[in-house]
Amino acid sequence: MATKPQSIYRSLDRKASAIIEFTLRQYRTKKSTWVVLGVGFTALSLIFLIYIDVMASEFESIDNDRDSTDYDNDGYPRGQEILLGTDPWDGNSHPGLFDPPIEPDPKSMYINEDDFDWDVTIRLGEQSTGYDDDGDCLDSNKTASQKDTNGNGIPCDIVVEYYRLSDGNFYASIDADNGVDEDPDEDAYSREAIHIAFVLSIGKLGFVLLLGIFLPLFMATGLIRDEMNSGTMHFMLAKPIARTELFLYRTLGYLGIVWPYVIALGILGAIVSGFAGSGDSFFRFADLGVWLAIIFATMMATLVYGMLFNALGVLWKYGIILAIPFAAWELGMALLSMGAPDATLLRFSIIGWALMIIDAAAMLVWPNLDLFILMGNWGGDGNAGWNFETSLEGAGPLGFFSSKPGLGLSAFTAMIVSTLVLLFQAAIFWFIGGALFKGKEIQ
Amino acid sequence: MIPDFDQQGKAQTQQWEPEVAAPAILLENVSKSYGRIFALSNITLALNGGVTGVLGMNGAGKSTLFNLLMGKLKVSQGSVKLFGTDPWKNPAPYARVGFVPEHEKMYDWMTGHEFVSTFARLNGLTRDEAKGEADRVLDFVSLSDVAHKKIGQYSKGMRQRVKIAHALVNDPELIILDEPLQGCDPLARTTIMNVIRELGRMGRTVLVSSHILQEIERITEQIIILHQGRLLALGNLHSIRERLDKIPHRISIQTEDPKALAKDVIDLDEVFGISFPDGKNLSIQTHNLGAIHSRLPRIIVDNNHKVSTIDNPDDDLASILGYLTSGGGV
Amino acid sequence: MTTQEETLPQQVEFAAEAPVTGKVRLEAAWGSTEGDEDLSVTMSSAPKSDGQIFKQQYKPWNGELNPRWMRNWAILRHHLLGVFKKGHRPWGVPIRLYLLVVFVASLSDVGMTLVSGLIGDSGLHSVWGVSRDNLYAHVLGFFPRNMLYYPVVAALLVGGVISEDRQHGTSALYFSRPITRFDYVGMKFISVAMIQGLLILVTLALYYFAEIATMGRGWAWIIDTFPMFLATVFSALLLIFTYTSIGLSLSSVSKGKFFPGIALLSIILGTKVLAFIVANLFDREILYLLSPYDCLAHVGQAIIGTQPTYDQYSWTWSLASLVAMNGVALYVLSTRVSSMEVTRE
Repeated sequence: MATKPQSIYRSLDRKASAIIEFTLRQYRTKKSTWVVLGVGFTALSLIFLIYIDVMASEFESIDNDRDSTDYDNDGYPRGQEILLGTDPWDGNSHPGLFDPPIEPDPKSMYINEDDFDWDVTIRLGEQSTGYDDDGDCLDSNKTASQKDTNGNGIPCDIVVEYYRLSDGNFYASIDADNGVDEDPDEDAYSREAIHIAFVLSIGKLGFVLLLGIFLPLFMATGLIRDEMNSGTMHFMLAKPIARTELFLYRTLGYLGIVWPYVIALGILGAIVSGFAGSGDSFFRFADLGVWLAIIFATMMATLVYGMLFNALGVLWKYGIILAIPFAAWELGMALLSMGAPDATLLRFSIIGWALMIIDAAAMLVWPNLDLFILMGNWGGDGNAGWNFETSLEGAGPLGFFSSKPGLGLSAFTAMIVSTLVLLFQAAIFWFIGGALFKGKEIQ
Repeated sequence: MIPDFDQQGKAQTQQWEPEVAAPAILLENVSKSYGRIFALSNITLALNGGVTGVLGMNGAGKSTLFNLLMGKLKVSQGSVKLFGTDPWKNPAPYARVGFVPEHEKMYDWMTGHEFVSTFARLNGLTRDEAKGEADRVLDFVSLSDVAHKKIGQYSKGMRQRVKIAHALVNDPELIILDEPLQGCDPLARTTIMNVIRELGRMGRTVLVSSHILQEIERITEQIIILHQGRLLALGNLHSIRERLDKIPHRISIQTEDPKALAKDVIDLDEVFGISFPDGKNLSIQTHNLGAIHSRLPRIIVDNNHKVSTIDNPDDDLASILGYLTSGGGV
Repeated sequence: MTTQEETLPQQVEFAAEAPVTGKVRLEAAWGSTEGDEDLSVTMSSAPKSDGQIFKQQYKPWNGELNPRWMRNWAILRHHLLGVFKKGHRPWGVPIRLYLLVVFVASLSDVGMTLVSGLIGDSGLHSVWGVSRDNLYAHVLGFFPRNMLYYPVVAALLVGGVISEDRQHGTSALYFSRPITRFDYVGMKFISVAMIQGLLILVTLALYYFAEIATMGRGWAWIIDTFPMFLATVFSALLLIFTYTSIGLSLSSVSKGKFFPGIALLSIILGTKVLAFIVANLFDREILYLLSPYDCLAHVGQAIIGTQPTYDQYSWTWSLASLVAMNGVALYVLSTRVSSMEVTRE
C-alpha cells in the first residue's frame, strides 16, 4: 500500500472522497431525501403499472375496410362475396348458391386480413412496396387499371414517396392501389406504437424532465446554500481546500445519490418495458439501447441542473426563486423539442440537448420509426374512400413524442455533440458557481 | 491516477511551502467596511507564538478580524497575511491553521469521531491517518469516552471541545478560537482553558477571543483590545493596567470590621479616599493598584483583620475600555 | 392568599427606560463566570428558623383581554400588510417582486380589453373581451397562469409561513400569547389565501369591470353574464383554497423555506405532466384525478360551462377528488399544528 505513488491527484482524491462521503451521509440523514426519492419512484411506478395494464389488454380490432359485414344478410361476409364474385349487396347472390355450395367464412377471417407488408427504408424518391394479402386487389376480375389506381405501372402496390420541398423539410406521401394493405392488424401496430411511444415519453418527460429537473431542485439547490445559512460552512472553509473544489465535490456527492437512483429506475423501466412490451421474443433486447440513452441523458441533465441550481444557491439566498422560472422555461423547451426539434431556441436550453441524446438513440434502435408513424397515420385506408378516421391508435402519440435529432445531424454525431454540449454547460456552471463562491464573503 | 479507494498509508507532505521568516499573522493597516460602516479600521498587528487573547465587546470587530484571517471576508484596505500569504481566495495557508468558529450549529448526525476524522481528510490525510489523528485530538480535549456518540447528544461544553479537536487535527501552528468558552459550564470551561494553555506551552500561536476579561486573564496575559473596530491596546494585560495608574482604581474589601481596616490603610501614600458602602465592606480608592496589592496582604496579616474577599470591581473589560476611550490614553 | 398578595410590591418596575449599555450587558455576561474558581457545592438544607424560604409569587394580571377576533385580526393584518410595507411580516423582496410581476401579468386581458374597447376593434375584442372561455382562462388556463403564475405564487407564499416558524422557533411568539393553535393556523391560511385572492380575484373583477366600462355594457348584459362571473369567482376560490391547503400542509410537515415551495410546485406540475403522458399515450384520463390542477379545471369547466376537455369521467369525480385532496391536506395540517412543539427544531 505504501508503494502507491504520491501526487497532487492523490491528495485531491482524498479530499474529494471525504466531501463526497460526507455529502452522501448528510443526504441519508435528511428525511426530505427519502421523501423525494420515494415520491419519484412511486410516480414512475404508477406509470409503469398503467403501461403493463395497457399492454396486457387487447387492442380493439377494427375492420378497416368493412368487408366482414354481411350487408345483404345472406350469411356471407362482404369480403368472401367479393372474393368469390357474388354481389355483396344482393341477398340472393351468394356463394351458398354455388355448386357445390360454399360454407360462409367466419367474420373474423375478414378482420385484419390484410396487414402491412412494407419492406422499404426511408430514402428520397418513390418506392414501391406492399402486398395484397387478401387478394381483393389481385382479384382476377379486375382490370389492369383497376389494379393500378395509383398509376405507377405496378399492380397492387403502394407508393411511398419522400421528397424535399424548398423549405428544406422532408415530406412523405403514400399512394396505394385500392385494396392493398387496407385492413391492418390494429393490435400488432398499436401495441408496438404505444410501446415505443411509452419508452420515448417516459424517457423524455418522466426521466429527463421530471426527474432531471425536480431532483436537482430539491437536492442540489441547498448543497452550498444550506451550509452557508446554518453556519456549518465555516468548518469546511477553514480547511486547505479551494472553494471551487468544494463546489465540485459537493455536486459530485449529490450525483452519488442521484445517479444510482436514476440508473436503478432506468433499469426498472427497461425490465418492465422489455418483458411487458410487444414483440415475438421473450425480452426486447433492442430497446436496451434507448433505455441506456435515457439513463445517460437523465444523468447528464441532473449533472447540468445540479451544477446550475447549486450555483444559483450560491449566487443568492433566494436562488430557488431564480430556479423555479428556469424550470418552467425548461418545461416549455421540452414541449418545443417535440414539436420543432430544429428550433434555434432549443440550443439555449439544457433539456433540448438532453432530449437530443434520446432522439438520436431512438433513431439508431428504430431506424424506420418515421415510416412506422407514416404507416400508422395512413392506417391502411388512404384511398379507399371510406369516410372515417383511418389512422391507427398509437400513431398520434408516437408522432408527438418522437422527433428527429435537431441540426440535421446523424445519430452518432448528434449524440456526441449533445453530450459535449452538456458537459460544456456543466463545466460553465461549475466555473460560474465556483467563481461566485470564491468571491463570496461569508459571515 | 487511480483513486485511492482504500486510503491507507501515509499522505504526502504538503506541497505549499510557507515563507520562512513570515510571522503567523501579519495585518497591515487593515480596514474592513460595510458601506460606510467600518467594522475594522486601520489595524496593524503581527503575532507569532504564544497565546493571545482578543478582547472586545459584542460588535467590537473580533469576528470580523477572524473572518478576515480565515479568508471569508475581503479586506477593504490594507493586507492580511497568514504565514506570508494572503488568505483571500487562497486556502493554502490553512494547512497550518486550525479554526474554531463561534457558530453553534454543527452536524448533529455525526459522531464526534466521524466529524473530526472526516474533516481531517480535508487536510489531505488518508482515511487511516485521519482516524488515528482523530483519536489523538479527541483524547487531547478529553472526549475519548464520548467520541463515538452523536454530536446531537453532546452538551454545550462537549460541542465546543469537539470543535477544538477538529481544529487541532492537522497539528496546526496557528490556532484561532472564536469565543470557545461561550455558554460552557465551569468544568468544560476549565478543560478548554487548560487545552488552550497547553497549546501555548507547545509553542503554537493561539488567538482566542472573548468578551469576558476574566476568562482571558486565566489563559493568557497577552491581550489585544478591540473597541468599535479599532485596536485600543496590545500587550500584557497588567502592564496595560499599570499604565492607567493616573486613573483612580477602586478596591473593595469585605471584612468584619471595615473601620478598623480603614484606619490601617488610610496612612498609605497611594490611598486617596475611603468609603463604606455598607457595614461589612470597605472601598479604597487609589492611583497605584500594584503598590496597594503588594502592601495590602501584609497590613491585613499584621493587624489580624478578618477579610473574606478582596475585589477589584474596576478591573474588568468595561472599565479598562472606559479608561482607554475616555482620553486616558495608553 | 390575600395576605400573600399584600406582601407583594405594589409597583413592579422593569426599568424599561434604563438604557441598556455595554456595561450592563458586560456585567450580565461577567456574572456567568462566577463559580469557576471554587467548584464547591451549595446544597439546600432544611429551613432554619432564621432563614427565609422564597416562594414564587405570581401577580395575577387583571387587565382585560381583547376579544378573540381582535387578536386574530392582528395576526391577519400582520401577514397581509407585510406585502405592502415595512414593520409587518417581512415577505422578502423577491417574493414581493414576483407578486407584482404576476399581478401585472394577470392584468394582460384587462389591458387588451381596454385597448380593444378604445380603438373599437371588434375582432380584437372578440378574442380578448369577457366571454365564458376567457373568464375560465383567466383563472384556470394552464399556460401561463397555472404554470408560471398562481402555483409559483402559492409556492413562494407557503414556503415560509409555518415551516420557517418551526425552523426558527418563532411559533413561540404566537403560542406564548392567548392564541389558540386553530386561530394561528386559520389566520395563516386566510392571509395566504387572501394574498392569492388579491392576484386572482381582484384581477378577475377588474377584467369584468373593464369590459363594462369600455364597452358600455348595460344591465341586460350584466344580468346575462353575472352568473358566469360568479361561477368563475367560485372556481377561483376553489383553486385558492386547494393550493393553500396543500401548500400549508406541506409547510407544516417540513422545515425551511424551500422544501414546501418546491414540493407544492412538483405536486401541481408533476402530476399534471404524468397525467398528460398517460392521457396522451394510453388514452386513459384516470390519472387526472390525482392532479389538483386538472381536477380544478374539470370542475371549473363544469360550473362555468365551457367545453369540457376531460370526457372519460364525470366532473363530480373531480370534485370528489378535490374534496379528498383538501381533506387529507387539512387533516395533515391540523394534526401537525396541534402537535407542533414550540421550540426551535
